[in-house]
Amino acid sequence: MLSRRIYQFFIIYFLGITVLFLIKYVLNLSDYVIPSPLEIWQTGRHVFIRYLVNVIDTLSIAVLGHLLSICLATIVGIVGRLTIWVGSFIRVAAYNIQAYPIVAVAPIIFILLGDGLSSRLLITAMICYFPLLLSFIGIFSEPVTEIEHFYEATMRMNWRLQVKIRAFENIGKITTVIVGSGTLAIVGTIVSEFIAANAGIGHSIRMALYQSDLAKILVALFLIGICTSLYLVCLERLGLVVQKRLQST
Amino acid sequence: MKKRFHARGLILIAVAFLLILGACGQKEQPAEEVTYRLKWLYNISVVGDLWAEDHGNFARNGLKVAVKAGGPEKDAIKELEIGHAQFGVASADQVIRAVAKGSPIVVLAQLFQVNPLHWIYRPDRTPLRTPQDLRGKTIGITYGGNDETIMRALLAKYDIKEEEVKLFSVRYDYTPFYKGEVDLWPLYRNAQAPIIGDKLLKAGERFDLMSPERLGIKFVANSVVTTQKMLEERPETVKRFMKALLQAWREALNPENKDKAIATVLKYNQETPEEIVRKQLPATRVLMLPKPDSEFGKIDVAAWKQTEEIMLAQKLIDAPVHIEERLKPMVDR
Repeated sequence: MLSRRIYQFFIIYFLGITVLFLIKYVLNLSDYVIPSPLEIWQTGRHVFIRYLVNVIDTLSIAVLGHLLSICLATIVGIVGRLTIWVGSFIRVAAYNIQAYPIVAVAPIIFILLGDGLSSRLLITAMICYFPLLLSFIGIFSEPVTEIEHFYEATMRMNWRLQVKIRAFENIGKITTVIVGSGTLAIVGTIVSEFIAANAGIGHSIRMALYQSDLAKILVALFLIGICTSLYLVCLERLGLVVQKRLQST
Repeated sequence: MKKRFHARGLILIAVAFLLILGACGQKEQPAEEVTYRLKWLYNISVVGDLWAEDHGNFARNGLKVAVKAGGPEKDAIKELEIGHAQFGVASADQVIRAVAKGSPIVVLAQLFQVNPLHWIYRPDRTPLRTPQDLRGKTIGITYGGNDETIMRALLAKYDIKEEEVKLFSVRYDYTPFYKGEVDLWPLYRNAQAPIIGDKLLKAGERFDLMSPERLGIKFVANSVVTTQKMLEERPETVKRFMKALLQAWREALNPENKDKAIATVLKYNQETPEEIVRKQLPATRVLMLPKPDSEFGKIDVAAWKQTEEIMLAQKLIDAPVHIEERLKPMVDR
């Protein structure tokens, strides 16, 4: 699984780089517009360690933000499954808030919370939270009639049992959504760093952009791709372990 | 006698008819289309560019120019090379970086004679009598930006070590400066200082601006650029473009045209209040025409060389680029 993900990333990355080089040499563009392979290599050697540390920093925030958003989505999803007005209100509010682009909300967050860890964490959580929430609300609101009917008929149904049944029956979907939102968590962290933070790979990309240094950006993208692949593989493995355990019980 | 007069009249009419016919026969040359990519969004710093488009300077010189707004993600030099634009505005550090990487660009005119980048501070709280007073201060810089390069050059010139000041990473939010967490905050003297200064004055606080140029750091800002190829293959177009542009800038900065210049900016930028634009215009004029005998668009070769030296000293470029060879002034009155 790991090697497949990694080589898939390598294929995509090097295809992209090849297209860039083709454009560069066909249009006879200078290294300022598209860097030469040698420049990318030299830049890579020069910034590799620093950027790797930055990517790990970003990844740690992404993991924390992802966990936070899973917890939030679970709580709100459980409340949102209710048919009473609270559930309906939460569903409508979730859809409405999702409509706001994060780049418009992010500056407000940075003004209120500063450009430290809390802002990065919150923006990350916000970006990957909504797809999770929408799926969780859908899953927790959909009754599993054939099983729930038994507990309702025997008057043993309570909200915990209901959530457990629905989660168990949809564990495949939940795993897929969590893995999918892992990419969003990393994207969210990078976006937040790019907008205003003082650390992480998003901040480094912004600095490289100020200096029109595409070579640095390409090195950053390479490291982001590798780390994202690793994180997604970890999530997939974790999902498989959880599914297997649940099935065995 | 009468017959001769009649014949003369007929000849005159015939000549006039032929002249009119000749004039009608001449096809009107269609305006040549070019694209001009600005450095930043439409604001006071591009008043001359907007004036040229709005008051027909380009059209009078046989050009149809698409004046496109710039922005943080736009790079005029890259667009020139790819061919999406024929003229553009770029800062000196962008030009020097591009030349260092083999970009075939040339500089036609220097818009700002004084770099608009200054640092705002409160003289009551942060008295700055000499550059040595910077020691121990918290100074805002944009990491990776021009202001970082300029501030580092300033600190190096006055032998102030980085450990002796506290560098603070700034973004668009001025709260740390308002709250007094940062002593000096970088801003553009013509565009932002009237807005921020106004807020400080309303809060009952005095402000002053630290000019790196006055402290001996000449770091060139925006200039008009094109490609070497454009200059060689379409010299007439370049000449007409520059004539129109410089003429427009002179007209826009002329105090007699103040109201028209403000109206032009407001037409393209409805976000900035008129009273602010009224303060921004004279501030812009001072940076572009600092002395009574200043020539608009003049390229300050010494300042360009110093900019290159600063970038070399800070290892922003690997080797000298001899930037003076890329300066092709097209300024004529």
